[in-house]
Amino acid sequence: MDIFTTFKIAASALQAQRTRLDTISSNIANVETTSTPEGGPYKKKSVYFQTTPIPFADHLQSSMNKGLNGVKVARIIEDQSPPQRIYNPSHPDAGKDGYVEMPNVNVLKEMTDMMSATRSYEANTTIVKSAKRMALKALEIGR
Amino acid sequence: MQPIQTIQLPAFQPGDQKSEVGQAEQSFTKMLSGIVGNVEQQQQAADTAVKQVTAGTAKNLHEAMIAMEQADISIRFMVQVRNKAMEAYQEIMRMQV
Repeated sequence: MDIFTTFKIAASALQAQRTRLDTISSNIANVETTSTPEGGPYKKKSVYFQTTPIPFADHLQSSMNKGLNGVKVARIIEDQSPPQRIYNPSHPDAGKDGYVEMPNVNVLKEMTDMMSATRSYEANTTIVKSAKRMALKALEIGR
Repeated sequence: MQPIQTIQLPAFQPGDQKSEVGQAEQSFTKMLSGIVGNVEQQQQAADTAVKQVTAGTAKNLHEAMIAMEQADISIRFMVQVRNKAMEAYQEIMRMQV
């Protein structure tokens, strides 16, 4: 049924926003992490969105759905901006000059990003709700 | 995306006079069982999704909710089809002969 196409697109967006929230969570959790397995401080991660064809799209519907895409997280990229340097000679990761390299994560930016992710998620749940309301209205025709 | 445009309705063709009642009955049964099968499939998908969420495996909360909504809409549709069939049956039973 074609009403489910809306569901599929919205579901892909919900999934993408969840992944985005996961990266934000990782960034905020590691805001003070100075040591990583790769060496150096933690680097801010961000998601990279890409369009993706609707999964399981019916072949009959495909001509009508041409140009309609879902979204997916193509990859998670690392922010290459330099780490913040803070003077703290007592820190175990401090260099010879007494400076510690802290992650390049800005908590304020992460918080606004988080709000944006939450709003996008909300918008897509509203889409699902609308699609359902439309389907139920269509079923009311018979009454 | 295609722009919204008028579509040409196919010209009305009177039904094939030779079609037999048995054939019609069979096709209706086939359609009804198809819908029931589809509804059952949706219910099972919702069931699996809910199980996966409660077990904490890969499935996400929203996927389970969407699967449940799909099952809900499918079952409502099936109920409407059944109501229509019952209405038609009762209409015929009330017919004076």
